[in-house]
Amino acid sequence: MTSPDPSRTIASLARDQVNLDLKTVDLCFLAGLYLRADKAALASFEEDMLVDMFEQVCDVVEPGADNPRKRATHAIQRLREQRMLARVDGAGIVRAGEYALTRLAGAVIEYFLADEALTRESLTLLTGTLRAQLAEVLAAAKKVDGEEAWRRNVVGPLRVTVGDLVAGIERRQRGLDAQQEEVQAEIATMLSADWFSAVDRCEALLDTTANTLRELNEILLRDTNHFVALLQEIQTLAITAEITEANETVQRVIEHVDRIAAWGGARQRAWSEYYQYVHRYLRDVVRLDPDRALSQRLRDQLAAWSSRRFHLLVADASSIRLLRQLEARVELPMVARPRADREFAPEWMDAENALADIEAMVVEAVREGAHTLVDVTSRVLPALPNSTHYAATGRVADALARLAAVHAERERPWARVQERLEIEDWTVSGREGVS
Amino acid sequence: VTDSTFHTLEAAIGDEHFPEVDLMLRRGRHIGRDDGTAYDYLVDAQALLEPFYRRFGCELVQQSDGYFYLLPSGDRLGRRQLSAGEMLVGQTLALLYLDPATLQHGGLVGREVLLQRLSGLLGTDVLVRTLNPRKRKYDERVAAETVRAQVGEALRRLADLGFVDIVDGVQLRLRPALMRFADPVRGLQDLNGALERLVARGEALLGEASTEDDGANDEEPA
Repeated sequence: MTSPDPSRTIASLARDQVNLDLKTVDLCFLAGLYLRADKAALASFEEDMLVDMFEQVCDVVEPGADNPRKRATHAIQRLREQRMLARVDGAGIVRAGEYALTRLAGAVIEYFLADEALTRESLTLLTGTLRAQLAEVLAAAKKVDGEEAWRRNVVGPLRVTVGDLVAGIERRQRGLDAQQEEVQAEIATMLSADWFSAVDRCEALLDTTANTLRELNEILLRDTNHFVALLQEIQTLAITAEITEANETVQRVIEHVDRIAAWGGARQRAWSEYYQYVHRYLRDVVRLDPDRALSQRLRDQLAAWSSRRFHLLVADASSIRLLRQLEARVELPMVARPRADREFAPEWMDAENALADIEAMVVEAVREGAHTLVDVTSRVLPALPNSTHYAATGRVADALARLAAVHAERERPWARVQERLEIEDWTVSGREGVS
Repeated sequence: VTDSTFHTLEAAIGDEHFPEVDLMLRRGRHIGRDDGTAYDYLVDAQALLEPFYRRFGCELVQQSDGYFYLLPSGDRLGRRQLSAGEMLVGQTLALLYLDPATLQHGGLVGREVLLQRLSGLLGTDVLVRTLNPRKRKYDERVAAETVRAQVGEALRRLADLGFVDIVDGVQLRLRPALMRFADPVRGLQDLNGALERLVARGEALLGEASTEDDGANDEEPA
């Protein structure tokens, strides 16, 4: 049997819109039926018996309510819809029905009625039975042969009997958890109400619970080791016989047993912390302030603090400053250049009048008929050294603009001049300065 | 004859716990039973460490509630006074520590409980004005947010000082060191007399915080 997928299970519960809506009268009715069945060893109830029980419950819960029979009919219907009561006779309308409490109803009522906290007696009984049961299953596992025999003699008992016993221990553990919470609440309530005079009662409660937990933990530690040893023996046989189902079932029981063992240790640790805390409180707070005056004085101090301030002082040594790691200093060479006599005697050079030469060449080009800046520049540049072409291009444009009337379009076209230059072109529209 | 593990100061300082405990004490932390072996070490080495710290102008104080702290009295070790926020939160936590209802959860309280108690005891207006002394007018929503932030900051600092442990960010485990906030009212003498005694011992300063610096007041060594 594989564990159901939680997501799928939740989705299916949501799809079916399961819900429980039980009123006090319903719960009391179910509790009455449960107790009656227990006392008279009844497996089911006749319809009249249900109605009688409801009327009795109604007298207690809602005395003076009108028409209890009609209310009983509605209550039975309501509980059947919620799967708390099931009709078990199958006679339909032929005769009055016979009803039984469902497993769900039993669980709900047991929660309210049964005092199922783990005690030394109940745990010893449960672990003893479990040990005997596991020994039987182990003996069966040693004898059985074949998958069907394994299922009948090993897997079945492990799932049902052993599973129920382990679940029983776990259920009682939860009961004890609830009891501990109640004890904690009770201690707080007793101190709130009686303060100093509640100290002895608080200590007694603490000690009782601590002793119970210690005893239970000792039993659990001792017996769970034994259970696990038996279960591992069964598991080894299952693995040898290659019965996967049995192996998985044993593994699940081992995990369950581990969980109940872990519970004991965890609860004892938690209780130990709580125990110490409460004892410290009783010693340092309650016994030192038997009149419970400190709380009131502290409350007054806090309320008046804004007008009568004081500030506690605490040490505040700054952290040790961590210095940067020491590094060997690298001597960088001084920026310098070799000494040399950089004074040269001036040389005689030919006079240069590039600007005048360019102007003359521009005039010449325009006279020869060049009518665009590109044309003029193309005619001037070949006469100049390559290295000056870029600067000369600007001077040509400058000279042309000064000496002739030029016209530029709004979008001036770019045109190539020789191979390396490209300039925005103008048109020469007048030649006043060059004529 | 002493039953201490340590017979010389050298042995006490040579113990593996010393560096951590020493740093914690110098940073103002209150070391209590909840600190486990650090507290046990201090109990063991107390007789040797008291004169040791006295040479630094500090007193190693052990309180009957079960915690140690270092109290600088000279100018050799820095000290600071707790801010207004830390004082208010500390006193409220001390009240919660005394409350039997806290016992039910083993000394754990929620931040919300602290804020509710603080606001219930002081009133929102006083609380806002004490934590924001420079603001004359305030918007209720913004003020509430500021108070929550300041209380959070005070809690963080009090946790560093060992007054409280912050568990999972929302729960507070109250520690016995909180009883320092109740020191002025623990004796039978009147509050003023008790405060003067605390001031004389270098445990507290009276009056407004000298400088406000992000909720903490650093005091120059005397």
